[in-house]
Amino acid sequence: MSASSRTGRRTSRLSGYAVVLIALSVLGTLYTAVAGPSSAQEKPGTDQSMKVQEGRDLYLSGCSTCHGLDLSGGAGGPSLIGVGASSVIFQVESGRMPLAAGVQQAARKDARYTLEQIDALATYIQSNGGGPTLPPGDLTDGDLQLGGALFRTNCASCHNFAGSGGALTYGKYAPELAPASARVIYAAMQTGPESMPRYGDNQLTAEEKRSITRYVRYISEAEDVGGASLGRYGPLTEGLVAWIVGIVGLVGLTLWIGART
Amino acid sequence: MSPPDPDGPAPDDIVGRLKSPRPSDQASGPGDTRTSDVSQDNFHNSDSKGDLKALGRDSAQLHDKHPAEKVALSPHAPLSGRDAAIAERKVAALFGVAVLGVIGFLVTFFAVEQEFGVPGNVYFTPLLGVFMAMALGGIGSGTVLWAKLLMVDEESVQERHPFGSKPEERAATAQALKQGIADSGLPRRKLLRNSLLLGAGSLALLPLPFVGFLGKFQHKERILATTAWREGARLIRQNGTPVKLGDLLIGGVESVYPDVEGGTFTADSPALLIRMRPDELELEGQKQQWAYQGHVVYSSICTHLGCPVKLYETQTHNLLCPCHQSVFDASHGAKVIFGPAARPLPQLPIFVDDEGYFIAGGDFEEPVGPSYWERG
Repeated sequence: MSASSRTGRRTSRLSGYAVVLIALSVLGTLYTAVAGPSSAQEKPGTDQSMKVQEGRDLYLSGCSTCHGLDLSGGAGGPSLIGVGASSVIFQVESGRMPLAAGVQQAARKDARYTLEQIDALATYIQSNGGGPTLPPGDLTDGDLQLGGALFRTNCASCHNFAGSGGALTYGKYAPELAPASARVIYAAMQTGPESMPRYGDNQLTAEEKRSITRYVRYISEAEDVGGASLGRYGPLTEGLVAWIVGIVGLVGLTLWIGART
Repeated sequence: MSPPDPDGPAPDDIVGRLKSPRPSDQASGPGDTRTSDVSQDNFHNSDSKGDLKALGRDSAQLHDKHPAEKVALSPHAPLSGRDAAIAERKVAALFGVAVLGVIGFLVTFFAVEQEFGVPGNVYFTPLLGVFMAMALGGIGSGTVLWAKLLMVDEESVQERHPFGSKPEERAATAQALKQGIADSGLPRRKLLRNSLLLGAGSLALLPLPFVGFLGKFQHKERILATTAWREGARLIRQNGTPVKLGDLLIGGVESVYPDVEGGTFTADSPALLIRMRPDELELEGQKQQWAYQGHVVYSSICTHLGCPVKLYETQTHNLLCPCHQSVFDASHGAKVIFGPAARPLPQLPIFVDDEGYFIAGGDFEEPVGPSYWERG
């Protein structure tokens, strides 16, 4: 009897804390829901200028050696005026910038900056001369089938029908697309980095670019139903494996049968 | 080799079979060359060493008499008696596996519900494969086992006999020919002989038209030299929409087709519209007029072997053919700068119509794609 009453007292004390906690969180949620939008609306100016400032700091410490203190280019780096936020997202998020010294083509690496830092850098570059920017929202909500058709028409000649990439002239290459994020894929179409052509919105609309982005992400994550993909290069590697593994196997089997006779 | 006796042939039987004279030895008549081959002296059935011992003859002595042949029985003689019966059952069992495989395959194929494009039984295809492997593998391994356990294992060398006919046969043939010529009267009838020589000799002139005089049959429609591009035809994308000035950014490319009936399906018409900075584009002579404010259109069919040339690098203006690595410089009239292609890609004259859309100024001036016989 005494034990149960002690338990009951403790329960009531704990439930008191719980009620306060729930009440506080409900109040907080309500406050955010009601007051959130208005405070977000008045924020952008300061937020934006803070971002620009942060991006400028990052730029001066990490990029200005090559691209110049005033973005006008310099020792080995091109001018960044008017390249737009998309260029920054493509180059920095895919790890191509900062560049490893003296290469024919910038290679994909692990990104040196966080996504927030990249956004700050992009905001800073965008504030100097404008240029293409990523549209808001989900970049992979396009039409998968349309994306496939457009990919085969516009992209597959260099990047291979399964996005495995391929060789270009004099050591350059079209990279494999599977490691690229949706933002990087979309930004690449907008900005045409290095050897790649640019696709403006008059040529491929935003909807069409979203469709291509969705398709590339789809084939990058798609299962290889036939088993080993062999690099997704198609008949070349498949034929090579058939000849080397298949024919050598058959010859070995024949020799074995002959040796046992 | 005939199928083995279930009990397996005794070693003596093999020897007897190997020694037995060919029935054709005496039976072949004159003119029957097929069997007379066998009757030649230097063609013999063979004897093994064990065989020779059984006959009580010296092997060297026999070797001299029969220089053309050697036969050796391998140490593995076929099984006999109980072992042979067991081996036969093993082979039969493997053939039975093949039958089961066929039955299983057919049952799986017809009994299991499977529709194209509809997710069905995941074991359908693997089962078909397993049963097919049973059917083919059963027959194959049974046959191998049969050959290894139950058949006579022998190696024989059979040397060729001389190719020429016997001297008397050759003499007889020559005699028959001489007789035939004499009977025809050719040596006597000079007119006949000379007219025959003239007639047969004149046949040599028959192929004369094939030596350089077939030109008038050359086809005139120039179907290989022309494409579907027409003067005034708009440049359309694969989905049929026309390309407008300003659609492409500098450093943009677009696959374009002629806006004619079935234009996106004609094999020789695909072309690549490229936009670069106007000062980067250096074209020669009249071809400058064929470009428009940095826009230039080249046939995208490689002049080497006809692969699609669409790998455009915006910085170098290189156009790469993926098949044999021909590289064309798009900023200099698509001239070849590397690879096996012999000619630049043909350039399509383009203009802009009143509504701002690109139109073709006509067909390509030269044939697109790889060389052909009459291209010159």
